[in-house]
Amino acid sequence: MHKRLITRRSALLTGAGAIAAPFVVTTPGFGQTGPIKLAGLVSLTGSGSPFGPNSRVSHQAVVDQVNAAGGLLGRKLEYLAEDDQTNAEAGVRGARKLIDVDKVQAIMSVWASAVGSAVLPLCWENKVMMLAISAADTIAELPHQGYFVRTQPHTVLQAKQFAKFILAQNAKSAYLIMPQTPFTESVLKTIRADVEPKGVKVTTAVIDNKKNSFRSEIDEMVRANPEIFMMGGYVAENIVMAKDLFRANYKGKVMGFAYGVVPAFIDGAGKEAAEGIYSIADPSPAFDSTAYTKVKALLKKDQLDTFQCQAYDHANLAILSMAKGKDATGTGIRDNIRKISNTDGGTVVDNALDGLKLIAEGKEIKYSGASGPCKFADNGNIIEVAFRTAQVKDGKLVEVKM
Amino acid sequence: MFEKVLQLFLNGLMAGAVLAVPAIGLTMIYAVLRFVNFAVAAHMAVGAFAGYMLNVWLGVPAPLAILGAFIGAGAVGIASDHVGLRRLRGQSALTLAIASIAVNIMIESTIRFFFGGSPRDYAIPLRRDWVIGAFKIGPQQFENVVIAVAAMAILFLFLAFTITGKAMRAVADNPMLADSKGIDPDRMSRLAIGIGMGLAGIGGMLVGLDTSIDPLVGFRAILSVFAAAVVGGLGSIPGAVVGGLAIGLAEELSLLALPATYKSAVGFLAIVIILTLRPQGLLGAKAGA
Repeated sequence: MHKRLITRRSALLTGAGAIAAPFVVTTPGFGQTGPIKLAGLVSLTGSGSPFGPNSRVSHQAVVDQVNAAGGLLGRKLEYLAEDDQTNAEAGVRGARKLIDVDKVQAIMSVWASAVGSAVLPLCWENKVMMLAISAADTIAELPHQGYFVRTQPHTVLQAKQFAKFILAQNAKSAYLIMPQTPFTESVLKTIRADVEPKGVKVTTAVIDNKKNSFRSEIDEMVRANPEIFMMGGYVAENIVMAKDLFRANYKGKVMGFAYGVVPAFIDGAGKEAAEGIYSIADPSPAFDSTAYTKVKALLKKDQLDTFQCQAYDHANLAILSMAKGKDATGTGIRDNIRKISNTDGGTVVDNALDGLKLIAEGKEIKYSGASGPCKFADNGNIIEVAFRTAQVKDGKLVEVKM
Repeated sequence: MFEKVLQLFLNGLMAGAVLAVPAIGLTMIYAVLRFVNFAVAAHMAVGAFAGYMLNVWLGVPAPLAILGAFIGAGAVGIASDHVGLRRLRGQSALTLAIASIAVNIMIESTIRFFFGGSPRDYAIPLRRDWVIGAFKIGPQQFENVVIAVAAMAILFLFLAFTITGKAMRAVADNPMLADSKGIDPDRMSRLAIGIGMGLAGIGGMLVGLDTSIDPLVGFRAILSVFAAAVVGGLGSIPGAVVGGLAIGLAEELSLLALPATYKSAVGFLAIVIILTLRPQGLLGAKAGA
C-alpha cells in the first residue's frame, strides 16, 4: 500500500505556498490600485511627425478632463507617451517600455502600419488593448484575440477610393508610385483590380523611401505620360516628388493619400508645386458632430486633422470601456468596447465625462466620436467610414466632389 | 532606350557629385584619425539647418548660406569631437566608430528638439527643368554640381598649395614622422574634423536644396556616402570623388535592371564587391604600403 508521507520538503513547499497564496490570489488586485495608465505610442519624429504631437495633445486633454472630474473607478488616470519615430524598431522599444515598465492598459493612436504590425503581438501577449490608426489590412488578420481596434479605414478601402477617383476622371492611363510599406502590395493590387477591367492602363513602381531623391523614378513616370499619377508616399516623400513633378512640368492629374497631402506637405513642397494635387481617401472627421465641436473647443483649434479626432476617440473609448466593465485593464477595454460603441440603443455620448455619468447611473450609452460613429467589426476594423476628397487650391486644401 | 540610359547617367553624375562632398569629409577624417566617423550624417543635417536659418530666417541667398552650412557644421564637428570622441583617441577604430554613432544620434535628436521632425524647405524659387534635346537638367541640380565642384577644387588647392594643407597631408601619410617635424597632430586633427564635417554640412545643404530637409537628411544619405568613401578607398580624397560618382551612377543606372525599391542595396553591393576584389578601394593605398 502506498503511504503518503509528510516529508520536510513537502512541508516547506506547503508552508511557502500558504504564505504566497494570498499574494497570488490577489495578484489581479495589484493592477487595480494606483493610477490607471493609458499610453500613446505616437510618431513625434519621422514621417508621422506632422500628426503625432496632435494625437498626444488629444489624449492628454481627455485624461486631464476626466481627472479633473474625479477620475475613473475612483482612481486617477495617468497618461504616458512614447515616440515610435515612425519606425517599427523604435516602436517596439517604446511599447516594451510602456508595457513592461509602465504597465499601461492601453496603447493608443499607433499611426504607421509598420509600427502597428510590430507592436500588436506585444499587446495581445500582455493583454494590453491597442486602439490604432495603422491602416494596413494585414494587421486585422493577425491573431490579436480582440486586443485591437482601429478607427482608420483599412488600406483596401482607401485603395478603392483611388480607383473610384481614376474612373471618375475617365482616365485611360494611371501611374502609381508608392514607397515600400506593409500595405503597398494590397493597395496597388486593389487599384489594378478595380480599374484595369474598365480599360485603364496601370503602371506601378515601388520606391526606396530611405533615399533623399526620387528624380529618376519621376523622370520615368513623366516619360510614360500617364493621365493620372498617384504620389503614394508620406509627407516627406511627397514633398520631394511634388517638386520633381513641377520641375518636370508634368501636366497630368496628381493624387495622393490624405495623410501625405496635408498642410505640412503644402508648406514643404511650396504652393506652386502643391497646387492642384488631390487628397484622396481622407476619412472625414465628423465635422457636423457635437464631438468635433467639443474637441475644437477642448484643444483650442479652428480645424482638426482626422488623426487628432481619432486620438480623441481612442482615449474616450478606452476610458468608457473600462467604466462600462468596471475593469480597468486591457481585457476590460477589449470586452466592453463594443458594448459602448456598437450598440443601437442607449444615450448617444460624444465625450468621456457625459458617458461616465450615465454609466454611473446604470444607463446604457453609445459613443459617437469626432472621427465618426466608431463601430467595430470582430477583427477590429472600423465599419462605417465617410471619405472626402480635397484639392490644393491656392495653397489650401479645399473639399471637392470626386 | 539610349535616351533613358543617358538621362539616368546624367542624373547619376549629378547625384554622385553631391554625394562626393560629404564622402570627402568622411574620408578626410579617416585619413587623419583612422576611424570612420559616422557622425558625418548628423553634421550633414547640422549644415542643412545652419543654411536654413541663414537662408529662411535671415534672408541670406542660398549660395552664400552654404558658407554658413560649412562653418556651422565644421564648428559643431569640432565641438562634438572635443566633447564626445577626443577622450577615446587611442581606443580601437571600432570603439570610435560606435561612439561616433552615439554622437550622431545625440546631434540628430538635438536638431529634432529645436526644429521638430517635419520637412522644411529653403527660400528658393522652384524652377522648371532645362530641356536640352531629349534630356532634362534641373537648374538646381546643375547649381549643386557647380557648388560641389567648387568646394572640391578649393579643398584640393588648400591641400596642395598651403602649408597647413601640406601639414595635414603629412599627418595623414605618416603621423609619427609629421610629429617629429614639429607638426602638431592635435591641431591637424581638429582641422581635419572641422573641414571634414564642414564638407558634410555643405553636402547636407545641397541635398536639401534639391529636395527638403529634416533631421534625418544625412541619415538617409550616409550609406551612400560611406559606400562612396569605401569604393574610392578610405583615406583617399580623389578616391572619394571617384567613389561618389561611381555610387551615384550605379544607384541611378541600377534602375535599368532593378526595381527602384532596391536602390539602397546598390551601395551595400558596391561595398561587398570592392572589399572582396580590391580591399583598399579604387584609389586607396594598400595597408602597410
